[in-house]
Amino acid sequence: MFTFALRRVLTSIPVLLAVTILVFALVELAPGDVADYFINPEANTSPEALAEMRQAYGLDRPAPVRYAIWLGQVVRGDLGFSFVSGEPVARMVLRRFQNTATLMSVALAVSIVLGVTLGVFVAVRQYSIWDHALSALSFLAVSMPAFVTGILALYLFAVLLPIFPSGGIRSVGVDAGLWDRIHHLILPAAVLSLAQTATFMRYTRFSVLEVLRADYVRTARGKGLAERRVTMRHGLPNALIPVITVIGLSLPVLVVGAVFTETIFSWPGMGTLYLTAVGSRDVPLVMGLNLFIAVVVLAANLLTDLAYGLVDPRIRYE
Amino acid sequence: MRNPIRKLTAIAAALALGWALSAGTLIGAFDVGPGGLAVPAGPWYNTAGNTWISKIWTPLVVQDATASGLAPALATEWSSNADFTEWTFNLRPGVTWHDGAPFTAADVKFTWEWVHAPGSQAAPETAPSPLVGQQAYADGAADAIEGLEIVDDLTVRFHTAEPSPRFPATLIKAYILPAHALTGVTAADIRTTDWWFTVAIGTGPFMHDEFVADQYWQLAANPDYWAGAPKLDTLINRYFADETAAILALESGEIHFTYVSGDVAVGLGERPDFELYSGPSGVTNYLIFNYRDPAFQDVRLRQAFLYAIDRQAIAEVILNGTAQVVPCITPFEAFWPETYNDYAYDPEMARSLLAEAGWDSSRELEIVTYYTSQFHRDAMAAMQQFLSEAGMRVSFLEDPSGYNSYFYTGQNWDVSYRGLGVNVQAFPYRFYEEEGWPEVVGEERTLMGQRFPELETLFAQARVEGDPDAYQALMQDICRVQNEQAIEGYMWTAVRFGVARADLVDFYWYPAPAGGPYDDRPELWDLP
Repeated sequence: MFTFALRRVLTSIPVLLAVTILVFALVELAPGDVADYFINPEANTSPEALAEMRQAYGLDRPAPVRYAIWLGQVVRGDLGFSFVSGEPVARMVLRRFQNTATLMSVALAVSIVLGVTLGVFVAVRQYSIWDHALSALSFLAVSMPAFVTGILALYLFAVLLPIFPSGGIRSVGVDAGLWDRIHHLILPAAVLSLAQTATFMRYTRFSVLEVLRADYVRTARGKGLAERRVTMRHGLPNALIPVITVIGLSLPVLVVGAVFTETIFSWPGMGTLYLTAVGSRDVPLVMGLNLFIAVVVLAANLLTDLAYGLVDPRIRYE
Repeated sequence: MRNPIRKLTAIAAALALGWALSAGTLIGAFDVGPGGLAVPAGPWYNTAGNTWISKIWTPLVVQDATASGLAPALATEWSSNADFTEWTFNLRPGVTWHDGAPFTAADVKFTWEWVHAPGSQAAPETAPSPLVGQQAYADGAADAIEGLEIVDDLTVRFHTAEPSPRFPATLIKAYILPAHALTGVTAADIRTTDWWFTVAIGTGPFMHDEFVADQYWQLAANPDYWAGAPKLDTLINRYFADETAAILALESGEIHFTYVSGDVAVGLGERPDFELYSGPSGVTNYLIFNYRDPAFQDVRLRQAFLYAIDRQAIAEVILNGTAQVVPCITPFEAFWPETYNDYAYDPEMARSLLAEAGWDSSRELEIVTYYTSQFHRDAMAAMQQFLSEAGMRVSFLEDPSGYNSYFYTGQNWDVSYRGLGVNVQAFPYRFYEEEGWPEVVGEERTLMGQRFPELETLFAQARVEGDPDAYQALMQDICRVQNEQAIEGYMWTAVRFGVARADLVDFYWYPAPAGGPYDDRPELWDLP
């Protein structure tokens, strides 16, 4: 397994390089640059000022030179400064990642627990009223866009019934403790987990139903085992393998965040940071974000592959 | 809140969660909207956000409460010589920095030389009119700015490089910085230094307390403020990625104030628990034509645009009465001539003019814009329909990120729908003058690809005219020429809105362009 993991890490390096080149090229091809962001089009800014600004940011150099300079800095562990805020990119990314990881991991954990539990629940009650009701709700949850759910949730639970805060990570103007932060986390995490819960529920249900029809499960029943033991001890572990795949594919959201939800709930996360970076042509920030996301995604894929080995003893890594 | 259940729920939630705001704490979304800054910035590299920045730092002068004139700030009075090349400012006595050090003329000189030092990253929008010797200093050829003279501790004299009748108006974003507290920080670091968010010593009514990136900036009252200690203990600026989130926070009671767009203002303004603040934006929305296309050199085509679009209907119906039709680029009625062509909606006239101009109705024009708000999208949709009915096919291209590059340096655009902030004290001459935009190449080195000799003559007079009445007359002449010749397709100027809780005491907000700064008297703001 160690050799397998090491090989995967080494092959990731050219992948990361390719990702950064591709992203840099795409940003270069887009019209405009950071000077356009700074210059308020409703103001009367001189072209000399625009030229000065471009020179200050090194935008007068050829693109390959700028990329090479950025790569050299990265190798030395320096992701540079944001053109827009002037803050070190690494600091911005880490700060936003903390916020996103908190929100997304809670949402993902809730989705996994609820989704798998409900999936098994409805699978063993196929075609029952529970199965139909929860299936209908899951379709609704998957169909509703996050920004609609988010605004509705905010209006219901923060304005009409002020049970939860209207946004932000913490209360301002007061000493905010752990409970205050949890309180701010509940509503956005709940909104985010809706669609994911529905997805995991559907996958688990399908997978469990397929496994429960397998010969070895019939054999287990034939041996006189209780249905609960058959399901949980023999069926569920095998049913989880495809579900792990789905969960693994969801891990990148831990880094990427959710732009709509973050915007509506004023949750300063990776999603809104990425949107702002691209919109303002903040090249160092875009590159730093992409590098970070690419590293995490590759690591997540590796973890998923390794998790298979834990769940399925038939899997061995050379 | 009339519903008692809702009220009890709110109280219980607030008590249970420690929500109760500290006494004397006002929280606002001061950087939401066109005058705000989505990413917090310090002075001298901010392109907007002056409503907040002026709570910590102060310039010599600010705009008055309605952004139509000037009000004293760190300077109490000012005067000039006969040809407006020398301006003397008397500084306010008894002013101290937030750390107790006295404010003097040395701080003014320090600020100018700090900001204009070689390698400075100061933003162009904040720059006052240049002084004598300023360029030599910026180039490293001089040790000081020759044109900035300290007369005594409370008097400074500026020697401008050119006659500047309206020099004081160029100082409103020139925030004075503390000479004693900026050691070790240079203007080359102006955008990367943390000083603005960690030390942040100014002379404003509030002092820096806590800055949490991406979330809020908290200030504490300055007990030694020269206009009197603020009644509030704390002032907080909360950052929102979206106007909707700010409005929900206002409605839920978490903040006291936010900017709102016109369609929201209409609804919120009618509620008794909110108070609506409004004012002209100072921005004119208009169509600018690319005269490099020979078709636009025909005044009949340009006038056809104005006759074809029912601007009054758009302003009243589509924009909910939150816009006023304008006859020229300036949105200030004082600068409009007594009589002008209002280009009242007349599609028949538009068709007739198009026919006379030989317009090819099969041709489609692309109108590029950076506006993406619903306000402007609604207006653009209506404009498109009106133009279509008159026989002109147009499509709108929204490009908020690439607009400046596309429009200012490219030459292949047809028309642009944009806005231009026109200050009472300053006119956007550059847009109409030769070499106003040197990056543009071609025979006519102007932004629109055409020279306007009659306007250039008026500009030359207006630039050096110091008499207010004569200046107003010149501005009216400029408006008349623009209107008669339909130099551009002038549409409207919008009203902008802010909403605050109605129970605030002496709160004031005005939609000054770029957030001001203006005389909003924050030391008087109070909670019920």
